[in-house]
Amino acid sequence: MPEEQSQTTMAVDELQAIIQRCQILEESDFRGEDFNLFQVAGQKCLEDGYAAQLLEVIQNEKNKVIIKNMGWNLISPLVRCILAYKQEDDKQEHCLKILDQLVQLCNPKELFLGLLEQIEQTSGEQVCPTVMLLLQPLQTVLLKLQNKKAYSVGLSLAMIMNQLTPLPVPYTKQQIQEDKLGLCRCCNAVVDFAKPFVNEVVKNMEKSSEYNNMELKEELLKFCMKSLKYPLLTAQLEQLEGIEEHPFRHFATEIIDILQDIRELMPLVFLHHKGRRSYWENQEFEDIERKNSADSLACLSYLMFVQHFGINCFPMVFSPSYLLQCNMTHIEVLLNRTEESMLSKGLDLFESCLLRMEDNSLSHQYLEFRDFINVPQDLVKVMTLCPIEHLRKKSLNMLQLFIDKFDAEGKYTLFRCLLKTSNHAGVQGYIIQKIKDQIHLSLTKAHDNVWFTGHHLISLLDLVLFLPEGAETDLLQNSDRIMASLNLLRYLVIKDCESDNQTGVWTILAKIEKNFLKPLHVGLNMSKAHYEAEIKNKKENRREANKSNTVCSLTVSEEKMPAMTTEMQLQVLHSALFTFDLIESVLARVEELIEVKVKAVMAENI
Amino acid sequence: MTTDEATKPEGEVQAAALAERGEDITPAQDRGVLKIIKRPGNDDESPMIGDKVYVHYKGKLANGKKFDSSRDRNEPFVFSLGKGQVIKAWDIGVATMKKGEVCYLLCKPEYAYGAAGSAPKIPSNATLFFEVELLDFKGEDLFEDGGIIRRIKRKGEGYSNPNEGATVEIHLEGFCGGTRFDCKDVKFVVGEGEDHDIPIGIDKALEKMQRGEHCVLYLGPRYGFGEAGKPKYGIQANAELVYEVTLKNFEKAKESWEMDTKEKLEQAAIVKEKGTMYFKEGKYLQAVIQYGKIVSWLEMEYGLSEKESKASDSFLLAAFLNLAMCYLKLREYTKAVECCDKKVLEVNPQNKAARSQISVCQKKTKEHNERDRRIYANMFTKFAERDAKEAASKTGVEKEAEKATCAQGLETAGAGGKEAEGHV
Repeated sequence: MPEEQSQTTMAVDELQAIIQRCQILEESDFRGEDFNLFQVAGQKCLEDGYAAQLLEVIQNEKNKVIIKNMGWNLISPLVRCILAYKQEDDKQEHCLKILDQLVQLCNPKELFLGLLEQIEQTSGEQVCPTVMLLLQPLQTVLLKLQNKKAYSVGLSLAMIMNQLTPLPVPYTKQQIQEDKLGLCRCCNAVVDFAKPFVNEVVKNMEKSSEYNNMELKEELLKFCMKSLKYPLLTAQLEQLEGIEEHPFRHFATEIIDILQDIRELMPLVFLHHKGRRSYWENQEFEDIERKNSADSLACLSYLMFVQHFGINCFPMVFSPSYLLQCNMTHIEVLLNRTEESMLSKGLDLFESCLLRMEDNSLSHQYLEFRDFINVPQDLVKVMTLCPIEHLRKKSLNMLQLFIDKFDAEGKYTLFRCLLKTSNHAGVQGYIIQKIKDQIHLSLTKAHDNVWFTGHHLISLLDLVLFLPEGAETDLLQNSDRIMASLNLLRYLVIKDCESDNQTGVWTILAKIEKNFLKPLHVGLNMSKAHYEAEIKNKKENRREANKSNTVCSLTVSEEKMPAMTTEMQLQVLHSALFTFDLIESVLARVEELIEVKVKAVMAENI
Repeated sequence: MTTDEATKPEGEVQAAALAERGEDITPAQDRGVLKIIKRPGNDDESPMIGDKVYVHYKGKLANGKKFDSSRDRNEPFVFSLGKGQVIKAWDIGVATMKKGEVCYLLCKPEYAYGAAGSAPKIPSNATLFFEVELLDFKGEDLFEDGGIIRRIKRKGEGYSNPNEGATVEIHLEGFCGGTRFDCKDVKFVVGEGEDHDIPIGIDKALEKMQRGEHCVLYLGPRYGFGEAGKPKYGIQANAELVYEVTLKNFEKAKESWEMDTKEKLEQAAIVKEKGTMYFKEGKYLQAVIQYGKIVSWLEMEYGLSEKESKASDSFLLAAFLNLAMCYLKLREYTKAVECCDKKVLEVNPQNKAARSQISVCQKKTKEHNERDRRIYANMFTKFAERDAKEAASKTGVEKEAEKATCAQGLETAGAGGKEAEGHV
């Protein structure tokens, strides 16, 4: 014990020694060696728990010059100690006071670098506590800086955001409330950190429109763009029950407020058709910037149009179709992601745009915009490939809504495109059903509709009433499509008399028989024979098969599916046969209808 | 100030006055948009369709509640007239205004946000009241670079535009310095106007025109006959041109998704020839269009047979290489590098070494170009010197890159031709 005591007092003594030596020196006479000795001794004091003594030394008026020059060296051990001590520990209290003193006394330039270095070196769980601890000192120092202030503010914000970015963003209500890593609190603290600088820009803008403090403004703009991408794009931004002040909604409002204050909100929202003023001397940087900003802008649009943040300063004279057009790019960006947070934002943004429109009001000409063709294809991808059920369902709803908004020619073009591009029998079946609905409308409505009757329809039917691979088509896999096609054909022959032939179906009857009905017959016979043989086979082998010699195994999303028992296999085979029977019965009905009608006409003609 | 006084207390009174004696300005005469002029304009000119118009406005709901004002934002509101960017009432209303005019508009929901409304501010079936001041307007800058300014004399039908490769029938009259140098009816393919002594600017502008549209186009030299001029018409180098064009009819080229693979490959062979022809004549903008078609058709094509994909790859490779070469000539270095990158990474990874070499060359040219620009910025006396220096330094690097590209281009062109023939 006494030995230990002597060791620790040694640390304080050493510090006193170097301090005394330096007290008599002029500022310019401090040598590198002195810096080292000071740092080592100071660090030792902190590590050994002599913060109170160190604080005394620092507070001593006589040491002002020394601290001014050398103090910043203590930042690193100081931060380590503060984070290690428990809260409300006296020693932590002393350390915090030391930090305070350093901020007051030290040379801003060096202290700035010292603080930044601490933020740069932290990682993992330490990021948020460190950032939260250092924000206030950093802000004070930056406000004191004389030169390169804008640059330094930008550097600080970029550094902080970069350190935060690898952290997972809390998504569920529970995660947000828990805020395990402190990200929610930290983000909002960063906004507070930025506020004095925002005010400075605003003040400067008021002073004169010429001198705009462009540099600082640009740094803040970059910070906002970065924040929109992370954490906001990944965050859950819906209002949550039971959380009064949703931290990310609060953060989002603050970010939008900053953009509004520095008058960058509107230019950002209309970026793509205003022709961006070039901030960058270098064209290359500008290109990179543009690519990076796509995510941020998509998030911004989501915040405005879905969450209505900042909508107050949004001009209320734009037409709904124009708003949709402007947002299509953003929707496309979001739907091309796979994360739930982004897909759902994309779908919500799409919905909000579509709900502003009246049915049948969107001109087919909009389909000339690439996004208008791409987005429905992206929806199909989400519908068929996304593992999250509510997103699949919502995608389907959005596709329906999108189709509803178009005029007849638009619907027609969209159907054509989706039939050709979606390689999914279920989706194709759905589209075929929609085509049937449109034909029905055309035939029943008073004013006729050229797109779903006559020669336009015939060319659409060409895409529907055939088997993709003739008789060899896998009927089971394509059953949705085939059933929908047969239903459509049945509808046509019932609804449209051969004498009227409004739909033109009677004109292409021979072609339909050749491309669709005949191969379907052949295919059905082959498939049924094949599956019946298979069933027979299975039944015969049932006893032997009990030895369980699995030929292959199946894994679904890395989960091994249990091997199928013979019973299960038989069940599957029977259900396939049932599907074929179903197809066959509708096919028979269709052929019967055709025969009756053709005969009737022939009889009339005789 | 004037606009503020009047609307404050008696907003509703004005709405009533409008309903009573406002002029019905709808083409359908259905009283959907009623207008009263509050202050006549100081100029007799009205904006034309497509013009960029600057307005200040204030909007209120029927209950007198203000929902929007550009004055609150301290910024005039800017939009393109007659393009469906704004609610129908505005496209109709602002078109009737003169420069400097202030007017009131009363808009039925059918001419505003209809039954759907516009969340969160405009409820369903809302009649809107506006006070609008037309501050200024100017012709539409088609490519945001000042190179082509359009003013529409008569609006076309619908929204459909000819695309690249579409066949158009137009009437055109060309003027230079007040003298008419060309007047004809002509039918040609968009992107190939050069074959009829029509400058590239017309091709570009046609892609933004609609059937029946009649407009005046002001072309900068880059979109006109450029440095070469047009001796045939007696047009000097870098001349500004004015064209009056009517798009009588057009037939669109098929979109990529409307074509099958076989068709795409057949067409690719044709346009590649065309592109090469333009390139040899030094018509790089036209060549870019042709090569660009190959990229748009084949870049995203999947599900190809082995033979098809080989042919497709060789077309793409040639297209990207040649595009890069065109962009080099056009001094669009970023685009040139982009083409190389794509080509290297996506089409032919084995080609990496050769390609990255070109990329490096191009980056260097670019950097050099930019450094020069910075050093001599705003120093008029040194302009000549700069140009000379730039040219000298570039030709060195450029030529090298070009040599490599040419060799490669020719090589793949041969292979491509063979492939295509084999395919047909």
